[in-house]
Amino acid sequence: MKVTRRDFAAGLAVGITAPYLISNARAQAATIKIGMCAPVTGPAAESGGYAIKGAKLALEAVNKAGGILGKQAELIIEDDQTTNPGIVLAFSKLAAQSDIVAFLGSIRSTQVHAMAPDVLKLGKPVMIGGTDPNLTHMGNQWLFRFRPNDSYSGRVIADYGVNTLGKKKWAVLHSTDAFGTAGGKALTSALEKLGAPPVLDQGYANQSQDFTPVVLAIKQSGADILGSYFTFENDLGIFARQLRQLGVNIPWVGSPSIVNITALKLAGPALYGTYGVADYAEDSSEGSKAFGKAYRDVVKVAPDNQSSWPYDAVTVLAAAINKAGSIDPTKIREAILAIKKFPGAEGEYNFDQNGDGLHGYNIVKNDKGNIVFDKHIEFND
Amino acid sequence: MDLVLQLLFTGIGIGAVYALVALGFVLIFRATNVVNFAQGEFSMVAAYLMVVFAVDLGWPYWLSFLLALAGMALLGVIFNLGVYYPLRHRTFLPVIIATIGASILMANSVLAIYGPQPQVLQGWFETPGIQLGPVYLDSQYLLIIAVTVVMVIFNYWFFEHTMLGKKLQATSQDKEMASLLGISVSTMIMITFIYSAVLGGLAGILVAPVLFVSIQMGSTIALKAFAATIIGGFGDVAGAIIGGLALGVIETFGAAYISVPYKDGFAFLVLVLFLIFRPQGIFGERVAEKA
Repeated sequence: MKVTRRDFAAGLAVGITAPYLISNARAQAATIKIGMCAPVTGPAAESGGYAIKGAKLALEAVNKAGGILGKQAELIIEDDQTTNPGIVLAFSKLAAQSDIVAFLGSIRSTQVHAMAPDVLKLGKPVMIGGTDPNLTHMGNQWLFRFRPNDSYSGRVIADYGVNTLGKKKWAVLHSTDAFGTAGGKALTSALEKLGAPPVLDQGYANQSQDFTPVVLAIKQSGADILGSYFTFENDLGIFARQLRQLGVNIPWVGSPSIVNITALKLAGPALYGTYGVADYAEDSSEGSKAFGKAYRDVVKVAPDNQSSWPYDAVTVLAAAINKAGSIDPTKIREAILAIKKFPGAEGEYNFDQNGDGLHGYNIVKNDKGNIVFDKHIEFND
Repeated sequence: MDLVLQLLFTGIGIGAVYALVALGFVLIFRATNVVNFAQGEFSMVAAYLMVVFAVDLGWPYWLSFLLALAGMALLGVIFNLGVYYPLRHRTFLPVIIATIGASILMANSVLAIYGPQPQVLQGWFETPGIQLGPVYLDSQYLLIIAVTVVMVIFNYWFFEHTMLGKKLQATSQDKEMASLLGISVSTMIMITFIYSAVLGGLAGILVAPVLFVSIQMGSTIALKAFAATIIGGFGDVAGAIIGGLALGVIETFGAAYISVPYKDGFAFLVLVLFLIFRPQGIFGERVAEKA
């Protein structure tokens, strides 16, 4: 067969354009991908499992409702190993996939700090659950928070302890990681403003095996109330048991970890009667109730903030992309920041220009192992 | 004074756990000249076995305890045959790396089988502790201290007054001479691994009600136990016990009187000081002999 110049030119044109057309067609048919860094292994692997289940539950609902921009959404999960190097590696793996439009980061502030420079470099939206106030105040426009930050939790803990429980001699106990340090500072600052500076401000290193020196320090300080910021549930469990064993029975208002499922299981009766600030409380709103029911039906365990914030992150992100009508990162960012009065599992989302979606906390009480909603305190600043 | 007594009790309790695990390090080191970095994982595996038998299957605590220790003996055999024996003629480095590999394998196997959830294991006694004057004595720590004392006495009796113990000692001191005297070196090493696995397991079972049962529990204890072994003098049984107890007390008092966040730092500061000024440890003659 003789190949003419015209045949050759046509063949060449098809050869050059075919891969593009095929990949374009594939792209048209492809899903919208959302990356998620989650602790599949490491000390937070259990809560990581809850986070993944929460995100998947939201994804199912989004897909049932028509998906994102008319396509089905897909979650790509990478294990962050509950470590800072782990999340940097996990995020870099996800960031290398150019078709991922947005990401879910960590609930741990220290991990978000570790990945933040890479987030800034990549320039795509990352939903986070870390509550260190600095995370959304350090010039990184791509971080969007789906839990109230610790400036609010500190104020709520202080307000509840001083004004509702009437206690003024505070012992403040916090982890020395980014989350704990920021939380401890926020609580101390709020207490100072209320005229009740803490009599003890005590840090501890994560994964401590013994809290006897800490408990004795609390005992000796003469504190009549304890405020705490624990990062890991096993630390909280060990501390709670030793606190009670060594006869310290003062009221205790803790950060959200005090009411999460793992902590309740590990510490058991040692946490009875304690109070916690909880971004997620099942009875706090209609959105919270709806999420709680859906989660219980599927996962068969009680929901907590580990699962509620990724649920909200996926739901809000999908709504924002649909509203933006585009996967352009800047347009998604603008759409997220424009979200107001959006009912979520964690509460009503009103994003400010820093990327904070929530501005208040619930106070709950551990009533013999049952977490009972007390009240919600919202701030306008 | 009340504070000092309370801290001393806790420090000795924690130190006793380090001492039990350190003992396993020492026995294997003496028998094989190799540091077994999977010693901590023996503790973790035994604690999970207890959860399976006592919690999941609901079997009596004493039976679960015996079965868990039997399981550890079996693990010691498998570990010896699978990790040490194939590499016994190589230098110490491949064997050490193999023990690290085995520790990762054990941790991830438990993770795959049992999941990442930390588990609660009740202590041996119903009563959580007793108040003795101003000092609260946690019943589990009391048990840990008692078991450590018993194990120290047992070790002394076993190694000094039984033929098997003397054979194990002879093997650890000079394998060739022991072999010439008709001692089966490979059997002695097998017994050492079994004994070390059981000791590590015992530590894990005892500490589980205090620290909870988690994948990380082994590595956390092993790191301190390793430091205790160096402080006591690598290769010395008494050194491991004294080193473990000293480390527990030092870090507890350091946390109480200097800084809580730097608690782990005190243990490793002592380790560094020993490495600089007395690298052979407190009872270090045997290390000098081996070097």
